[in-house]
Amino acid sequence: MSRAYRITVKESSTRELKGADEICTQLEVLEILPPEVMAELLKQELLKKGYTENPDGTLARSDGNTTVTVNPKTFEVSVKSQVGEEVVLESKRETFGYDDVGPAQQELRERLKKQIDEDLDKKAEHESERLQGQATAELEEKLCDLQPELSEVVNKVTREALKQKARQLGNIKELSEDEETGSLTIKIEV
Amino acid sequence: MTIGTDAPPPSGPPAVSRFEYNLLRILRFLVGQMPADQAMSLVYAKLPAPPCLSKVCVRIARDTLAKAGVLHLAKSGGWRRERFLVEHRPTEGRVWERLPLEERALAFGPSPLAFLLWLTAEKPTDTADRWDAHGGLTPADELFFLMAYDQLKSEPEVALILSEKRCFRDNPLVRLAYAGDFAAPGSIAVPDFTGCFTGPRVAILECLQPVLAQRWIRSERAKGQIGDWKRMRLQGQAEFDTMRAYLKAANEARRPDLARFVMAANSILLAPPELGLGFWTGGLQGQGPARLTDRIETQRAALAFPRQLETLQGWERQARNVGYYEEGYAASQLWKADWEQAGGDGLAAKARGLVERLDPLRTG
Repeated sequence: MSRAYRITVKESSTRELKGADEICTQLEVLEILPPEVMAELLKQELLKKGYTENPDGTLARSDGNTTVTVNPKTFEVSVKSQVGEEVVLESKRETFGYDDVGPAQQELRERLKKQIDEDLDKKAEHESERLQGQATAELEEKLCDLQPELSEVVNKVTREALKQKARQLGNIKELSEDEETGSLTIKIEV
Repeated sequence: MTIGTDAPPPSGPPAVSRFEYNLLRILRFLVGQMPADQAMSLVYAKLPAPPCLSKVCVRIARDTLAKAGVLHLAKSGGWRRERFLVEHRPTEGRVWERLPLEERALAFGPSPLAFLLWLTAEKPTDTADRWDAHGGLTPADELFFLMAYDQLKSEPEVALILSEKRCFRDNPLVRLAYAGDFAAPGSIAVPDFTGCFTGPRVAILECLQPVLAQRWIRSERAKGQIGDWKRMRLQGQAEFDTMRAYLKAANEARRPDLARFVMAANSILLAPPELGLGFWTGGLQGQGPARLTDRIETQRAALAFPRQLETLQGWERQARNVGYYEEGYAASQLWKADWEQAGGDGLAAKARGLVERLDPLRTG
């Protein structure tokens, strides 16, 4: 008489999963003064905004999972969002075997193990997609705040460069500036 | 009375076998002299090929190829009185007035006839015979395969088979006219365009300028119906790589006039005042790729053709700096005139504006 037996295989796995997204762009900074002077002006404005200088000359600022990096020489901006999480994944599979017919216990265990591995991979993929979505959402949210901030920085750098250029051209008779609208009017006597 | 062994030539049409008859009809279809509905049944039919073709069949095929090639080029644009650079000097006239005969002679190699043999004998979508051209193609061969692709691409399954064959995939004319059809993951190598600016290929390119412009206009207008993000990105990348390689070769050969079709097509595409990104990407379905960078990159890829205006504007700026005593002065003046006539600065600004709209951090 055959006897049925239940085989249960359970496995859990801890994986370090990540999701990341990044966009790169270039600031439109007019070359009013020589490139190295414009770079220095940009650097000073960014330092005021809380950016710190890296050994390679770029300036970076991190805010949660997002990092903004600006190269003052090339005006390239990179905004990167990276989310990482240690995720515990579990899976359990059960089956029945018979001691007289059918595959042996070892074979059944191996089959279940393979199914569990596939299941864990699917779960890991699902979690990765979730983290990816989170990274992208954080990046998009960051961009909404960053765009006006960088526009303001570029505007300030441009105004400062214009003032310096004006001083080089002649005597400044009149200078009126509106920080809110970003407008600048300079009268020069040449 | 003795009967001479040299019989007089028979009156009436020359006699060919059934296979040869089908071959010649397919040839006429491929060169645009027969409607597709009459010829496609022959293309899809299988027929055992003879050991060799008769002299009559070969003579008729050669005659058809030669005349059809010349007619196609003349009708496409060769008849127009236009100014192109000949030995770096602007020269006006129809193509046979601008270029000497030896620069316009079309010499066909064995590949067109070999292709016809295969197409007549086999069903392209169901054959173990994966025929492909061996050795190099002559300029006339390249023109023939372009004409053949024109006719056969309306059948998607056949077009897919053809796109894997060297005579189409590595054919600079086919890639220039249908760059987006050769998009694949991992990218397909762009053909070498440097040879396009010497010999009869120059005459062919000059004649095909209006046709190339029309092809690109049609292709760009069709992008609004592409729903798949991956397909859009692959197609755009293939188009960008092809055009970049072609313009680089044209610039090195100092033949900016052979890029006129890029300006002509863009001047029509970018004409509507309310033109937006939706013209290209309005058909994309769903949210697209998960990553923002991939979504932006796909939309940028869709604008592959208008983005070429940036390169052409660079040529115009270079042309402005060429002095009247310098060697390339006449050519630079021609390019400047072309640019101005097409409203190049306005077109380039429009294209740049479209690309900038994709930038989530634009500060301008």
